[in-house]
Amino acid sequence: MTSSRAPGLELVGVERTYAPGEADEVRALRGVDLAVAPGEFVSLEGPSGCGKTTLLNLIGLLDAPTAGEVRWEGRSVGGRTDRERSRLRLEGVGFIFQRFYLLPSLTARENVELPMRALGLGRALRQARASELLSEVGLSGRERSYPHQLSGGEEQRVAVARALANQPRLLLADEPTGELDRVNTEGILNLLEHVRRERDATLLLVTHNPSVARRARRHLTLEDGRITSDVREA
Amino acid sequence: MIGGRGNRRLRHARLQAILAVAAIATAVALPVVLLSVGGGVSSHELADLQNAGYQLVVSAAGLHGISNAHALSQRILGLASVAAASPVLSVAIDAFPNGSGPTPVLAEGIIPGEFGPTLGPAESGLFPSPLPLGDPTDRIHFDNGSYAGPATYQVLVSSPFAQALHVTTGDRLLLGATANASGAVAYRVTGIFGVPPTALGPTGAFAALLPLSDLQVMTGYADGSSAPVTDAADTMEVAVVASATTQPGVIDSVRAQIQALVPFYGVSALSQEAEQLESASAVLTGFYLALSSVGLTVGLVFLALVLVRRVETERRSIGIRRAIGQPGRSIAAGVIGEGAVLAASGAAAGVLVGYVIVEAIATWATSTVQEAARLALFVPLTLIELTAGVIGLSLLAGGWASRAALRIDLAEALR
Repeated sequence: MTSSRAPGLELVGVERTYAPGEADEVRALRGVDLAVAPGEFVSLEGPSGCGKTTLLNLIGLLDAPTAGEVRWEGRSVGGRTDRERSRLRLEGVGFIFQRFYLLPSLTARENVELPMRALGLGRALRQARASELLSEVGLSGRERSYPHQLSGGEEQRVAVARALANQPRLLLADEPTGELDRVNTEGILNLLEHVRRERDATLLLVTHNPSVARRARRHLTLEDGRITSDVREA
Repeated sequence: MIGGRGNRRLRHARLQAILAVAAIATAVALPVVLLSVGGGVSSHELADLQNAGYQLVVSAAGLHGISNAHALSQRILGLASVAAASPVLSVAIDAFPNGSGPTPVLAEGIIPGEFGPTLGPAESGLFPSPLPLGDPTDRIHFDNGSYAGPATYQVLVSSPFAQALHVTTGDRLLLGATANASGAVAYRVTGIFGVPPTALGPTGAFAALLPLSDLQVMTGYADGSSAPVTDAADTMEVAVVASATTQPGVIDSVRAQIQALVPFYGVSALSQEAEQLESASAVLTGFYLALSSVGLTVGLVFLALVLVRRVETERRSIGIRRAIGQPGRSIAAGVIGEGAVLAASGAAAGVLVGYVIVEAIATWATSTVQEAARLALFVPLTLIELTAGVIGLSLLAGGWASRAALRIDLAEALR
């Protein structure tokens, strides 16, 4: 499913080289070209070390390319300053990580509030929205639980709620079900599909698992820093 | 498992915070003690000078070096604006109270009528008024330098002496220049005077006050047999008339006139001595701060290391926050703010610890150390400045740590 709404995501000749010119130089990405339409659900597969996470980090502006351009809605964003990239991430991207990465000293609701705090929203509004989001991911009543009091599936649900807190147009999920059992995996995938549809967001999902990848409508395969396969389902 | 790791991290973080606060508290306690005690002693000495009833002091280079003290007093009294010129001879003698063995006493020989006006408001209440020492001018016994006139043989003793040796007004008291009672002369105790609190202990607490000529004859300072001069005194304290006490110009003019009379003696104004004392106090304060800066530097370096360590252990949390989009300056402000809070807590604890140390010394220490601690002054402004300084310096430590936080590679931190 696609949407006519901006933004489009575009990578043009993107390269990422670690320690360039040195003996231990690593070329993680080698001239990646990619265009993703708004609202698309794209899976990204490939063997370990092929550059999937690097690509996701570049798209999410956690990292900057060595060469090439990352464009959002036609604007080049990859080479922006750290401060500008922080702002763009805050306003446009939601991250979901394999290991959830919730802050252990904060409750579920406080974790969800984090992006809204960074956006400068008032406390009452933040709390109301966080409770709403937790309810949306099926965690009503667990607002005051700390991460260590939650199961893996619940933690990932909190992470999804946190990723949605800033109402992102781009959801980036790096092996979001990698540490979950089958039941929780299904639950999280259903949830991601649901929020993508509801919010008309672009979802880019990195996975090793073919059954997880099958949920997407477009399948990218990355090998040795290059996109070797790009399959769209009818 | 995550919970256990999180709890351990939390405990480590708390321990680090406690250690950082303790390090800064220790570093701050030292200057608090030094500044409060040093400042208190200086302030006390300054108050003594400012509360004195005289404004000028004539002094000789050596002990008992002023000669012809009676005549010099008269010459100075002849100057305009001079209200009193009081020569003082201080000599350690022996007393034989109630037939007992010799007791060392600091005797001060004075001209009673000149001594009274040179007492400040704090001191005058300690002495009977007028001083019951017979001839107020000390001229009868002095008899123009012949010392042939009749002596009054009257003496005042200090209250510590009277209490310790059970001496009361009306008692007979043998006084002599040496520990040999056979050479002692019988005096009648005509009064008891209080001892003003001293900055550095009970020196001179066993004291006696008697006519200058009596003490000079007793100790040989009348005819120069015990000193290179005759009619000897140590200092001459000069009081100006009440209307001139607030006029530095008049005091300086009197000083210049006395200096012209006795160019071979030192003549100084107490205001000059007060200025010198203030300068010395400022130098000491600087020295205390310099000494304390070593501890403060160590404390702040420790704080910086704790903050950097916190950044390292919170690397992933910082990475998550930044991935979410929290601005770098917000992360940096958090680190700097944490440092400032730890520094402020440490400084507050240091002030408290310093106060407790001074109180403990004032309560349980002995002699001069205890006396000095009792004079300690905790000036709020100084303590606030010290705390503000520590917090200000903590910003540097926080800045160093926040740089480390901002340099974290996000992709690496989230791997």
